[in-house]
This record gives sequence, structure tokens and C-alpha cells, in this order.
Amino acid sequence: MTTYRVHVIIENKPGIRDPEGDTILNDLVLKDSFSSVTKIRSAKMLKFEITEKNKNLAKKKIQTLCDELRIYNPVVSKISIEAFDD
Amino acid sequence: MNLTTQELAHLKSKIKREPTNTELQIVAAEWSEHCSYKSSKKHLKMLPMNGPLVISEKGFDSGVLDVGDGYVVTVHIESHNHPSAVEPYGGAATGVGGVIRDILSTGTRPIAILDGLRFGNIEKDPQARWLFKNAVVGIADYGNCLGVPTIGGEVEFDDSYTNYALVDVAAIGFGKKDRLIKNHAKKDDVVVLLGGSTGRDGIGGSQFASDLLESEDRSAIQIPDPFIEKLIIEAILEARDHKLIKAMKDLGGGGLSCAISEIADSLSIGIELDVNSVHTREQDMNIDEIMISESQERMLIITDKTKLKKLEKICKKFRIKCSVIGKVTSNQIMLVKKGARIFAKLPTSVVVNAPLLDRLSTTPKYLQKIQNEKKFKPTKDLSIILLKMLSSPNLADKNWVYGQFDHEVGIRTVVKPGHDASVLRLDNGKFLAVKIDGNPKQCYLNPRDGAIGCFEEACRNVVCTGARPIGMVDHLQFGNPEDPEIFWTFLESLKGLTDFAKYFKIPCVGGKVSFYNETSKGPIKPSPLIGVLGLIEKKPLQPRIISKNDLVLLIGNTKNELGGSEYFEYIYNFVGGRCPIVDFKTSKMNMNAVLELIEKNLIKVAHDCSKGGIAIAISELCMQNKIGCYIGMEKIPAEKLSEDRSLFSESHSRYLLVIKRKNLKKIQSFLERKVITYAIIGKFVGDQILFQKNSRPIIKLSVDMARQTWMKSLGELVLHG
Repeated sequence: MTTYRVHVIIENKPGIRDPEGDTILNDLVLKDSFSSVTKIRSAKMLKFEITEKNKNLAKKKIQTLCDELRIYNPVVSKISIEAFDD
Repeated sequence: MNLTTQELAHLKSKIKREPTNTELQIVAAEWSEHCSYKSSKKHLKMLPMNGPLVISEKGFDSGVLDVGDGYVVTVHIESHNHPSAVEPYGGAATGVGGVIRDILSTGTRPIAILDGLRFGNIEKDPQARWLFKNAVVGIADYGNCLGVPTIGGEVEFDDSYTNYALVDVAAIGFGKKDRLIKNHAKKDDVVVLLGGSTGRDGIGGSQFASDLLESEDRSAIQIPDPFIEKLIIEAILEARDHKLIKAMKDLGGGGLSCAISEIADSLSIGIELDVNSVHTREQDMNIDEIMISESQERMLIITDKTKLKKLEKICKKFRIKCSVIGKVTSNQIMLVKKGARIFAKLPTSVVVNAPLLDRLSTTPKYLQKIQNEKKFKPTKDLSIILLKMLSSPNLADKNWVYGQFDHEVGIRTVVKPGHDASVLRLDNGKFLAVKIDGNPKQCYLNPRDGAIGCFEEACRNVVCTGARPIGMVDHLQFGNPEDPEIFWTFLESLKGLTDFAKYFKIPCVGGKVSFYNETSKGPIKPSPLIGVLGLIEKKPLQPRIISKNDLVLLIGNTKNELGGSEYFEYIYNFVGGRCPIVDFKTSKMNMNAVLELIEKNLIKVAHDCSKGGIAIAISELCMQNKIGCYIGMEKIPAEKLSEDRSLFSESHSRYLLVIKRKNLKKIQSFLERKVITYAIIGKFVGDQILFQKNSRPIIKLSVDMARQTWMKSLGELVLHG
């Protein structure tokens, strides 16, 4: 058994608005003349540590957990999961 | 998004040609049940809509009531049920946003929000808990960010809302009568779209609300942005003060299609629109998508060319986008172009007048079976029953909900949530009391008397603050109207409300009908929700601290009316029996008597007896004041009833009054003169909730224990299951 770090990023699906990202872009970034920035999307990240047999199983467990516990609403948000060895 | 065959034929016969695709989309949005009221419009006319205080103007999206001294109060109610059932946070939040803009569109400042929430069984169903939790947070986040207080509402749970949510929002506005927007326009005025950009969110939303919720429609998700809404409020009120707005309308269900056609029709003008000028969020949106997008936080304004510059300046100051999207014409045609090419050219009267339907209506079969009562075994320990009821989600204190709402911002809230009705201070020295009430359990047993009961309960609640009802709004929520049995329940409720409104001369100043509220297990129970506004000329009755030896006076008769009661449903899991019936004459007498006693300043606290009956109403006073009571049950004016029935009957027209002993004589002689049924049933004393019958103890419960249970059970349930 190995302990893995698993990162879950929760964000609004593409095509669904993100007022928080828009506000950071329009009222902060562009106002400060960082004019080459064209888009900002906000997201929330959860960092898990999990002990499992292998990396894939660790990711799978976390995916199930997020679905079952309604960590995100699949109607508006999507999640991406990344696992790291150490 | 489709028209029926008959509707398509009707459209063709009106325009005498084949409609273009864009025209079909526009008409389908406007002719959806949600926008056209095609099933209900014929019948809604029965409600009385005029009264001495009602100000009606063409194109008002909310009800307007004159409260004197040059001020008006506006009110509107809407629901966001379908969106909230799939995305409770965003759905509930955008529901608040929509109704706020209806208040704004008359030119008044939104000053309060109330919400009526209904979900499935949160004790058993984690999905219901998830919906409830997120809808409450959605409303709190939106209202709190806007700086509009959420001052009250109600929450109820019932199995008929499994996997579903009813999220009703009522908003109150306040302003000067001479600053109301007098919707008018003339040829060559400019049409401006102001606020958020138009995107693909919420496409087909009104159609979605008119369909059964069978599969999740992802495009109908709307993302709330309270900060833009706040800027819109301030920009529009500033523009109003500079008289820059000739006419205004909120973009709600059906998006631009509905807003343009409805404003044009109500002002008898035409509008020529170029979609290239609409500020969009996504590059590749086609014309149909732009016309029916339900992106939130947008307003449509008509102004003239000279005022436009000033309006643009204000928008720039508040950093909100505003685009001139078209102009007013005199031909009563809605013309939609993209550049030079014409995509739709429809008479506005055709677009806004969907062919109305004559729905069939038959008495539901279930009603025959449901009236009979089961024989229950007599309950042994009523103290345990009372404690169990105090912890039930429907009766437990709702501080977990309203504790999340900022209910004081704006410093108008004089009577705060958690009491009978909330009271707002108005600038002319008067006060406004507001309450919304529903009772689907009783409406299911008897849609007519159940609806009347909700109406009377809301009236009783505002009366308990010393307010006289001046107007009502109704939100009629039912299942699929194509089912004649469901349509019958709608008609019965409507007739009941009409009779009550006429008898009490309370005009209906606004409302909404929401059909197709169906879950995977069938239709919801008939769920009319009634909001009542009451005006207090001098000062409201603010609940005062109850002290030892204050007396409990009960006005009204307790009858064998436990159908749809919390006692039957929560304790015995029994749906059925005789629903409480309001006797109009007694109701009026009791209402006037309580108001006069409050005006004479003879009462410390007035509290309505409703869900859970006398036992719950008295316990609430004890728990709020941390004081015990001694009640002699033999004194309760009642039909011959077993103890449990007289404790938990939900008969209407009853009020609990807390009075000082020294005022007793005056009150008694007043009530006797007015021939009111009443009795002194006990007093406040000690630290136990004590009900006795001829010196035999029936209930004995420590106030402290009751209070702990009542205050905490809902929060515990939501957070820990």
C-alpha cells in the first residue's frame, strides 16, 4: 500500500458562466494593464491524501467519493483528478 | 422547443404565411405555459384586482400599492422550481434576482425578500437535504451580496416533493409615487439592453419550466451574479431619478423574445431590433439563441435619443454594459434583423396572445377515499408526542435557515424573522407587515378550503403585528394541467381565493401560475402560496417579553379539524380526514377584534394558532420567552374532543393573546360586546409546559428541554443527517 496525493479541481463546465473569474479579469487584471490576459476561470481544489494499492485505484476511489458525497454538482461543474506518487 | 400542431396552424392563419425558424423560436418561447398562461389566463380574471390603494399602469411587472404621503409599495412573487431542482444553489439565487428586477422595473427600490421553500422528506432522503441546504445558501448568498434583507418566509417538507424543490421568492419594493416608471414610448425612441451579457445559459428555460422534469436539461442552468445585479439596481435608480427611463422591463423567461414583444404590445408600439448590437458573451451565437437566451441580470429600457447620452454615462460609471439594440416604430410589429437581413417580422399582438386553452376539469377520484378518518389508538403520553412534534422538520424552529440570511440590512426590519409576520419601517412613519403561507397537506385534501386557509393564515399573521391586510399575491403551483383532475384542483383553489379576497376586499396585486410541477413519483400536491401585505398606520405590535402571571387568552373555536395536520401526518403517518374550514364571518369578526385590541394597546403578544395547533403555538411562546405555562384544557372553547385532538387541531381564525392581568376586565368587556368566542385558558408561570384537564396532567414538559430540541433539530438534521 502506498500513500498518494490526489488533487481534485472543481470548476464550472466550459460554456457555463463564471462570474468570479470574469470579475477578477475585468476589475483587477485588465485594469492593471495586463492586457494580454484574455480569460480567467475560477476553480476550487481539494487535496486528498489516500492510501491505496496503486495510483489508478486511488484516483478511482476519489472519483467515487466526489460523486457519492455530492462534492460537486455534475449539472454545472466538472472535476478533474490528478494523482501524485509522493 | 415546439408549438403544438394547432398552435402552428393558428400562427400561420394569423400571419398568412409560413413562419421563419426564428419566428418559430420566438413564438414558442412566448406561447409556452410559463409565459403565456394559456391554461390559466381565462380563469385568473375572476380574482379581484382593484382596490382603493391599487395603482395599475400598463406594463407594470409588479403590483403597486399606495401607502400614502406620496409613497408606494410594490410587490411581486415568482418561483424558480425547475432550475432549483437540478441546481439548487444557482436556481434559487437566480430566482431571487428575477423577482428583484420585477420590483426594479416599476422604478422602486427592492427593500425585502421573502422565500417559501418546499422539499422532500429531509429526515429520510439525502437528496432532499442536499437540495434544501444548497437552495438556502443560494438565496442567502444572493440576497446578502445585494444588500436586500431576506425578512421571512416559510419552509415545509412533504413526500410529494421528492427529488424536487419549490423555491418561491416574493420581493417588496418601496419608492415615491411620482417616480414610478410611466411606461410610454413614441416613434424613434431607442431600445437599450442593459446589464449582463447574453450567453447560452438558460436557453429554453421557460420551455423547460413548462415541461415535465424528466431529464436534466443542462442548457437551462443559470449562473447567478449578484454583483452585476447590485450595479443594475443602483444604475437604474439613478437613471430613474434623472427621468431617463421612458419604459422598462426585466428580461426573464423567454429572454429578449418575450421582453420585446410584451413591452411593445403593452405600449402599442413596434420595435425594430438588430441582434448584432446585443452584447454577447460567446462569439458564435446564432440569432435564435440570442433571442431566447435567458441569461440573468439584464434589463430592457426605452429612452429617447437626447437622454441616451446621460444613460450611457451612468452605465459607464457603474461599469455595466449597455447597448442600443433597436428603435421604436409605430407599426406594432416586432422586427428582428441581423445587419440588413430580416429574420422575423411579426405583429406583437400575435406574439403575445397565445391561443388560450379550455382545459378539462374533473373531480379527482382520490378525494372520495381520503375524507374518511382512520380510528387511531388513543395516545398515552402526550408529553412525548409534543416533544416529537417540536423536533419535526416542519415545526422545528427555522433559525438554521434565517440565521444565514441578512435580515436587517437596510435597517427597516422592525419585527424580524421567527415571529408571525415580519414588519418593515417605511419612510412615511407607517409600517408594512408581510407574510407568505402555504399548506399543501390541507390543499391536497381540499384544494378550495386549503387555499382559503393559507390566505387566512397569512392574514392572521399580519394581523398579529397590528396590520390591516391591504393586498395579496398568489403563487399557484400545481402538476400537469393537461390532467383534468389536476386542473380541477387548480380551479378550486382559485375559486376559494377569489371568494375570500372578495369578502375581505383584499385585492390580488400580483401572482404567478406554475404548472408541470411533476416528480418521478407523480404530481406535487396542490401548492398555492399566498403572500399578504398589511399596513400599520401608527405602530406595530412588537413582541414583548412575557412575564410571570401574564394571562393566555384564546380567541376562536377549536373544532375536530385534523385533516392534513402535522399531528396526523407526522405522528400517525396518515394523509386524510377533514381539512380545517374558514368561516368567513367569524374570521372577519376575530380579525377585527384582535386589531382593535392591539390598537387599544391592551395586548403584549399576539400569536397565530396554525400548524401543530394550540399545543405548538403555546409552546412556541414559552420557548421564545423561556417561561413555563399552566393551561387548563377544559377552558378551551371547543367541540367535544379528545385531549390530543383539541391540542393539535389546526382550526382557523384562532389567536393566542398574551395579556397583563390588569387589562383583563377591559378586554373581556370588549370581546363580549363584540360577541367573540374566547376564553382565558391559563397563565405563564414556572419552568414547565403544563397542560391539565380538570386538574389531571396531560402534558408536562420542561421548557428548557423543549427549547433545546426545537431550536437545534433542523440544523442537526441538515448537517448530520
